[in-house]
Amino acid sequence: MKRAVVAASIAAGVLLVALLPVFVKSDYPLGVMIGVLLAVSLGAAWNIIGGFAGQYSLGHSAYFGVGAYTIVVLLGRGIAPWWGALLGSILASAVALLIGSICLRLRGAYFVLASIAVAEILRLLALWAKSLTNGAEGILVGEFPPFTIFGHFVTDFTGKPPFFYMALGLAVFCVATNGVIKRTKLGYYLQAIREDQDAAWSLGIPLALYKNAALLISAALAAQAGALTATYVAFMDPNAMLGLDVSVRAVLVCILGGLGTVWGPVAGAIVFALLDEALLRYLTQSHLFGLGMLLILAILFLPDGLAGLAARLRVKARAKARA
Amino acid sequence: MTALLEIAGISKNFGGVKALSDVSFSVEPGTVLGLVGPNGSGKTTLFSCLTGFLKPTRGEARFEGRSLSGLSPERVCKLGVVRTWQKVRPLAKLSVLDNVVVGALCRTTSVAHAREIAHEQLRLVRLDARSSALAGALPIGERKKLEVARVLATQPRLVLFDEVMGGLNTFEKEELAELIVELRRKGLTQIVIEHDMKAILRVSDRLVVLGSGAKLADGAPAEVVRDPAVISAYLGEPIAAA
Repeated sequence: MKRAVVAASIAAGVLLVALLPVFVKSDYPLGVMIGVLLAVSLGAAWNIIGGFAGQYSLGHSAYFGVGAYTIVVLLGRGIAPWWGALLGSILASAVALLIGSICLRLRGAYFVLASIAVAEILRLLALWAKSLTNGAEGILVGEFPPFTIFGHFVTDFTGKPPFFYMALGLAVFCVATNGVIKRTKLGYYLQAIREDQDAAWSLGIPLALYKNAALLISAALAAQAGALTATYVAFMDPNAMLGLDVSVRAVLVCILGGLGTVWGPVAGAIVFALLDEALLRYLTQSHLFGLGMLLILAILFLPDGLAGLAARLRVKARAKARA
Repeated sequence: MTALLEIAGISKNFGGVKALSDVSFSVEPGTVLGLVGPNGSGKTTLFSCLTGFLKPTRGEARFEGRSLSGLSPERVCKLGVVRTWQKVRPLAKLSVLDNVVVGALCRTTSVAHAREIAHEQLRLVRLDARSSALAGALPIGERKKLEVARVLATQPRLVLFDEVMGGLNTFEKEELAELIVELRRKGLTQIVIEHDMKAILRVSDRLVVLGSGAKLADGAPAEVVRDPAVISAYLGEPIAAA
């Protein structure tokens, strides 16, 4: 009964968001919403390895960037974006396996450091491989071919609404993936690994296998977020797609919202994207300073993020109701 | 009767320190073996060697005739040998129930089934009333019980209890000793590390004493506690056997 109510309210919420373009006709709020949804996707992707498994990757720009470059470079060579997006996820998973099989054996800070290094290598590679990536000049993303289903025209991807719906679809998919993971053996094992690797190991959990599985899923989703971001913004260069900014954004969304919770990345992304937008407007170049302050405040006052705050308030309300 | 576990000449060196030297004994199925000895005599090191956390320098252990050498902890657990931790290791941010579910998932992929197993084990250790509490919030006595429930949920055939009664009050100690006896009655083979001689004598079928990494004595508890070598190395004064 309770589950049905929760499921129904989630469905209603998604439907409500989905109706937004019908009522909101101006581009700016729609653009902000797309920013929120893309941040949800990236955060939810990171949450799987960082939040559930407790392996703090600070190099998710690698997967995001691989997804972005794959779709855009292939599009420039006449290959349809859906194939590019799919291949982007496959390539990102391959990179994840390469990094994971080496670095996830290590505990503690080594994985963090290695993840930064790999992302940085890819960024420099993108700067260097000019014939493929156009180097620091970046690439203007070509137009999408029109999308048809059985010959029926659906959209030609002009204007914001098509991207809004794609971003919404991806965000829902990423959050749902988190929800499924949390309820299955994978989620239990990842959380056990996060809490205590030796205890987890002694209880029969193959550590490397589960950590790599988490990184693989996380990378595949992050690549989708990258692919969609690049095609939506319609311009990309190595710093925007493979820079440390991207990795920090992924982590920040989860810290703000609550690590290892299903709804944390959603709450975190809303706060993060809206604040980022406002700070970018009013502080322009120093908006990163604002985000840094935000992170410090979040760590000081919201150790378990907004999801943790919500849980604490629930407990308090229940205690009050009993008294 | 063939032994369930056979430890054959295990030595473990850490650099120049000989933590274990040539320790051999075997454990018969369905029995409880008490493992005692002064601090630093190698009891926990032996557990780590048996469960794949440490590689013995020499020697090997065989479980049901199968060598445990080179197996990782998760493989050892899958075979049916599981340990608890002297310094308890609760999965702090998970609920008590979920801690035990993690153990139960060793034998099943269904979370629903794992929950059933977990509830059963929590009832057995009398922690079922606390199942929705956060594991990190439990007092020490309940944490020890949680360790026990968690390893039992993996459905082991040999459990290595590393001071599960350590740091507990008399009542809690009594409860856990009772539990060990009950598990033995159900046929579960156990090795129990414990400093409280009264408790260990109550639960053990056999007693092995370690001193400075070597086996000092091995036999019926009543005889072992009368052994002069054991008295001088560990007990200090003779104990009236139970």
